[in-house]
Amino acid sequence: MSKRDTTIPEIKESPLFWPARLKGDALLVLDETLIPRKLHYIKVKNTKQAVEVIRQMKTRAFGQFLVVMQTFLLEISNNKTASRDVLLTRIRAVADQLNSSRPTFPFEEVTALVVGWANQAVGQNLDIRTFVPRCIHGYLDGIRARRLERVRKIAEVLKDGDSVLTHCNVSGELAMAAYIAQQQNKHIHFFATETRPYFQGAKLTAWELRRMKADVTLIADNAVGSVMADGLVNKVIVGSDRSCANGDFANKIGTYQIAVLANEFQIPFYVLTQPSDKIKTGKDIPVEIRNPQELLTYLKKKVVSGVVSGFYPGFDVVPHELVTEAIALDTRA
Amino acid sequence: MTPALETQRNEDHKTAGDSFLNGIQGSVILLHGVFEPSVFDAVKSGSGTELFVMEGRPSLESAQTTCRELLRRKIKPTLIADNMAGFLFYRNLVKEVWLACQTVDDEGALCPVGSLIVGVLAKRHKVPVYVYPASKGSRAMGAQKDIFYFKGIKVAPQNIKGYVPLVEWLPKKYITEIRKS
Repeated sequence: MSKRDTTIPEIKESPLFWPARLKGDALLVLDETLIPRKLHYIKVKNTKQAVEVIRQMKTRAFGQFLVVMQTFLLEISNNKTASRDVLLTRIRAVADQLNSSRPTFPFEEVTALVVGWANQAVGQNLDIRTFVPRCIHGYLDGIRARRLERVRKIAEVLKDGDSVLTHCNVSGELAMAAYIAQQQNKHIHFFATETRPYFQGAKLTAWELRRMKADVTLIADNAVGSVMADGLVNKVIVGSDRSCANGDFANKIGTYQIAVLANEFQIPFYVLTQPSDKIKTGKDIPVEIRNPQELLTYLKKKVVSGVVSGFYPGFDVVPHELVTEAIALDTRA
Repeated sequence: MTPALETQRNEDHKTAGDSFLNGIQGSVILLHGVFEPSVFDAVKSGSGTELFVMEGRPSLESAQTTCRELLRRKIKPTLIADNMAGFLFYRNLVKEVWLACQTVDDEGALCPVGSLIVGVLAKRHKVPVYVYPASKGSRAMGAQKDIFYFKGIKVAPQNIKGYVPLVEWLPKKYITEIRKS
């Protein structure tokens, strides 16, 4: 895999591209809720803490995937003296706990891989302790190379003079593509929606695009129609948390209305996907409804006075007919 | 799974197939803008109608005033962020859209920013859009810094630009009817 990397010199990496890394006996997870104030990594030492960082949205999207994979590495190293059967049981238990952390991201598709490798090790009488980590590291190396490939694909989609609207955050890839585009002397402008209620668009996307010296303008989530109607945007690029066999996908709340507006104003709509056929259509994707207090208050300040209800769906589902092109991660083994 | 995890899952991680959503299918009036208060005189509580209010970034004045007027009438509104309207339409929850607009003519209406989003969504989902008078006019543009703060708290990084349209033109094809009050 490293060979593939070296064919393309120096893609400048955003911290959000690979937000969780194993170091010593801990998994260091980038606390995305503290950006842009500071770059802080949370030390995760076991499954319980891993579930917490996921549930509290300290990390999201691709970061969740990295946390899940590497939590198994932590647990294998935490159970040095366990027998083979105990370790296998432990791996299954870890998978169960991670699967139930949040509903929309396909955790079980990720954990099933690791459980499968553990079963394979037992079936072939191999040492789980060496076989499973080797599989995990190999898999992560492969994903890393494929994501770098996708960064280059995005850079190809970006044309000189483009003004691109994006929503929430696509985990480093858009910012890194913006950097490549600059190296190619393409002038690209970005609009980032602020992405209530956690402001990932303001705090993460605008921040990482600026770190890459890209030209970025922040807008409110409600200004999407205005910039489209006024012809200020000629492309939309968003990420996705989960894809279906028919091309429907789930992404951060707000994505559906952006897709509908892009369709109305005939603006090409691109989505970065991780293809999967586990779910047939978007109607079958479970969408998380989060605690309304996350919407009704911000750092303990009430958004409106008085006692009102709140409704906070975490994700939208976008039907495939609104997608101009999916920029897919190559998920073939 | 531990009992604690199970409990947490049940409390925090409800998914959108919930009975809550089924219970409010087609019963939501989605409100956006700063309305003449008399508009709400006709709204009855407990009539099977849910009133959902969009925040109206960056000032949040839209949500503040609408929530205040509804609470005064003993009606409990539900707040959503401006990016959550699409979800309500996707789930067929919305029966009407009400917008508070400051100028109306034969071609359309000058409405608070965000009205195009709900107007286009309503057209796609065949939901009627009613335009009501706004209680006051709005500036056309806010200052860049307005979008860098939320409730006085800085939310944006340094050295970026902000673009803050406060009103937008809603063409008449997105409007079902203009109502006086």
